[in-house]
Amino acid sequence: MIDRRRFLTGAVGSAAAGLGLSSCARIPEDADNVIRYWGMDDANTDKDEAVREAYLQTDAGQGVEIHIDQVPVSSEADMSHIITAVRGGTAPDLWWTGRFTSVQAASIGLLEPLDPLIERYEDVSVEEFKKQWIQFAVDEVTYDGQLYGLPTDTDARGLMYNEDVLRESGIDLDMFDPEQHVLTWDELREAARQITEVDGNGDYTRFGFAPWLHEGWAYTWGFGLGAQAYDNDTATVTLDSPEWKAVYELYADWAEEFEYSKVDVFFATYQPPNAPPSQTAMFSGRLGIQSTGPWQLQANEKYAPDLPLKYTWLPVVNDGDPTYTWSGGFALAIPSGANITKTLWDYMKFHAGFEGQSIILPPLGNVPTNLRAIEERKYNPKAEIFRQMLPDSIARPPLPVGQAIWDTLDRGKESVSIGSRTPQEAIETNQAFVEPKMDLFEGYKMPDTYGQPNEVPES
Amino acid sequence: MQNESAEAGDIPPGNVATSILTAPPNDSSDPPRTRPRSRRMTKAKRRNLRLGLMFISPWIVGLVVFIGYPVVYSISLSFTRYSGMGAPTWVGAQNYITALTDPLVSKAASNTLFYAMIAVPLALVIALVLAIAMNQNVREVALYRTIFYAPSLIPAFAMSFIFIVFLNPQFGVFNQIMNVFNEGNVNLLGDPTGVKIAIVLITQFGAGNAALIFLAGLRNVPKTLYEAARVDGAGPLRQFFSITLPLLSPVILFNLITGVSGALQVFTEAYVITNGTGDPDAGALFYMMYLYRNAFGFAELGYASALAVLLFLVGLGLALAIFRFSRRLVNYDVEAS
Repeated sequence: MIDRRRFLTGAVGSAAAGLGLSSCARIPEDADNVIRYWGMDDANTDKDEAVREAYLQTDAGQGVEIHIDQVPVSSEADMSHIITAVRGGTAPDLWWTGRFTSVQAASIGLLEPLDPLIERYEDVSVEEFKKQWIQFAVDEVTYDGQLYGLPTDTDARGLMYNEDVLRESGIDLDMFDPEQHVLTWDELREAARQITEVDGNGDYTRFGFAPWLHEGWAYTWGFGLGAQAYDNDTATVTLDSPEWKAVYELYADWAEEFEYSKVDVFFATYQPPNAPPSQTAMFSGRLGIQSTGPWQLQANEKYAPDLPLKYTWLPVVNDGDPTYTWSGGFALAIPSGANITKTLWDYMKFHAGFEGQSIILPPLGNVPTNLRAIEERKYNPKAEIFRQMLPDSIARPPLPVGQAIWDTLDRGKESVSIGSRTPQEAIETNQAFVEPKMDLFEGYKMPDTYGQPNEVPES
Repeated sequence: MQNESAEAGDIPPGNVATSILTAPPNDSSDPPRTRPRSRRMTKAKRRNLRLGLMFISPWIVGLVVFIGYPVVYSISLSFTRYSGMGAPTWVGAQNYITALTDPLVSKAASNTLFYAMIAVPLALVIALVLAIAMNQNVREVALYRTIFYAPSLIPAFAMSFIFIVFLNPQFGVFNQIMNVFNEGNVNLLGDPTGVKIAIVLITQFGAGNAALIFLAGLRNVPKTLYEAARVDGAGPLRQFFSITLPLLSPVILFNLITGVSGALQVFTEAYVITNGTGDPDAGALFYMMYLYRNAFGFAELGYASALAVLLFLVGLGLALAIFRFSRRLVNYDVEAS
C-alpha cells in the first residue's frame, strides 16, 4: 500500500507536471519570422487569410509564418483581453483594433508608436508616409504627435431605405434620390409618419424611422448640428454646449411622437436582441428607413439580395444645408511588448496598405482608407455614395477619454428618449462625467488637421 | 410533510455552514480553561501539524495567492491612478472622493440595492420551498431533488440567453401570458425597471444551491420535537412556524449573508443581457458592471479598485449589521444530537 510520503510526493509531482503541460499550450514560437496576429472577427477570418496567402506569395513573405487568431470581445470598448495579454507577456505582434479606442490605448502605453519604425525602415519622412491614407483616419490613430496604427477600412453614415415600403406608403422616391435631393428633418418626419402602421393593440406593425435607432448616435446628429466634444483651442470639454442640447432635443422631440417603449417593443419583436443577421425589421419589410453604413452591404447581398435597398444622405435641418457624416473603422496596431521586426513591419504595411485593402474591402463592404485603393475602386461599387461622403466626413474626436465620452453621450440619448432626463440635465451630466477624466490630460491637443476636409481622389 | 421525514441526528457530511452556525456562540457551561503545562509541542504533534499543513497547503496557497494578495493589491491600487500599464501614480484619497461624487456610482449602487432587496428575500423563500419539496418522504425523492436542483447547474450566461427568448415580445412565454390578460406586447428588457426585475427572475434559477443548505438544515431538526408538537395538537402550519422556522434560523442567516454578498456582486446576467452597457438608461448598470467598465473600458484600475474596496466595506458592514440584528432572532439552542 502506498504510504503518505509517496502519495504526497506523487501528488505534488503530478500537479507540477500538469501545470507545466498546460503552460506549454500552443503558443507560436517568438522567432523573427513568426508573426502572431489577432485578426478580424470570426465572420471575416477568410479576408485575413486571403491577405496572408497573398503576402506569403511575395518575395518578402518567403519563410514567414503568420498565425491568425480571433479573440472575441463583447464590445469594442472592452480592452480587458489586450490589457491582460500585454501584462501577461502574451500579447500578439499585430492587432486589428478599432481606431476610435486606439488613442486611449496609446495614452496608457498599450501600443507601440510607429514613427520610429517609419524612420528606420522607410525612405520617406513620417509625414510623407502617412499621406497614403485618408487624413481623418490618420488623425484617429495619432496620439501626442505620434502614429500608433495603420488605418485599414473606413465607413460613413447615411440613410438606407426600402423602395418598396416607401412606394407602398405613397412617398415620392425622388426625395430620397441622393443625386436629386438631401432630405430635411421635417421631410424625414413626414415620411416616417406615412410609413408607420399600428395594430389594434396600439403596437407598431410597420415603422418609419426614429433618430435614436441603429447608427443614430449622438455623434451622428451632433456633427450635423455643429456639436463638438472638445475645443482644441482652449483644451476644454464642450459637452454642455447649446449644440449638444439641440441634439438631445431632437431625440426628445421625436420620442414625443414615436414613443420609445413602443418603438422598443417593435424592434424587440421583429429584430430581437441576438437575432441572426438575417432577421431584421428592414429585411422583413417592416421598417422603411434606417441609419447605417456601407458594412450593411455585405448582409444585404447575402440575406436580402432582391430587396430594393438604397442609400441617401443624412437629413439636414434646412433645405440646402451642407451634408455631413462621420466615419469609423479599424487599424492595425502593434501592442507593447511585441516582437518588432522588419518582417512584422513589412507585413503590417502590406495588410493595411494598397495590397491588403484591395483584398479585404470589396467583399467587406466598407470603403478603403488607402487613397490608391480608393482611386482604383477597390470596394463594392454599391458603396460609391459612401465614398462620395468621405471628403466632408469627420472621425470621432481622438481623445484619450473617447470611450467615456461615447458612453455618456449614448446614455444621455437613452435617457432623453425614454424621458427620464431632460436635454439640459443630459448635457450637464455628460460634462460633469467627462471633465474630470479629461483634466488628467491638461492642455491636450488633437491633431491640427482634425475636422478639416479630406483629400479623397475621384474614383 | 417535511417534518415527518426529518431524521434526528442525520447530519449530512460536509454541512459546514449548518454545523458552524448551529454551534452556540458562547457556551458558559464550559469548564474554565487550564493553562497548558508546556508550550512546547511533542514530536508527534509537530509531525501531525506538519502533515496537516501539507494537506491543506493547496488551499492556503490558493487563499494567499488568489484572495489575500489581490485584496491587498487592490487596496494599495485604490490610492493610485493606474491604467494597468506603467507605474501607478499616488493620488491619495482622490479616487474615493471621486466615487462619492460620481453620479453613476450612486446610480449603480441604487440599482444594486434595488436588485438585492427583491432578489435576496425572494431567493430565500424559493430555496426554502424547494428544500421542503426535496425533503418529502416519498420513494422518488432522489429524482425530485435532482429535478429541483438541475436549473442551478445551468450557467448564468446560458440562463440569460434563455430568458432573452422567454421575454421576447413576439413569441416569448411572458408576452403570451400577458396577451391572455389582453395586455399589449411588453419588452421587459427595454425598460429600466423591467430589466432589473428580469434579472431578479433569472437569478432565482440558482436557488438550488441555497435549497441544499436548507435541506441539510431541515434534516437537522430533531424529529422528537415534531412528535411532541403533534401530541400537543399542533397542525402542520403551526409546526412549521414554531419548530421548523426557528430551528432553521441559523441556516436562514447563513443563506441571507451569502445571498446579500452575491447580490452586491451581480454581474453576469446583466452583462449578457445588455451586452455590457447596462442599458436601457443605465437601468441594469449594477455596481460590478460599472466597476468593470472603469477597469477595462476606461482603463482606470485605480478608481475601479477604490470602487471594489468600497463594495467590500459595504458588504462587510451589511454582514455585521445582519449579524447584529439577527442575534435575538436566530436560535442556536437545539442541535440534532
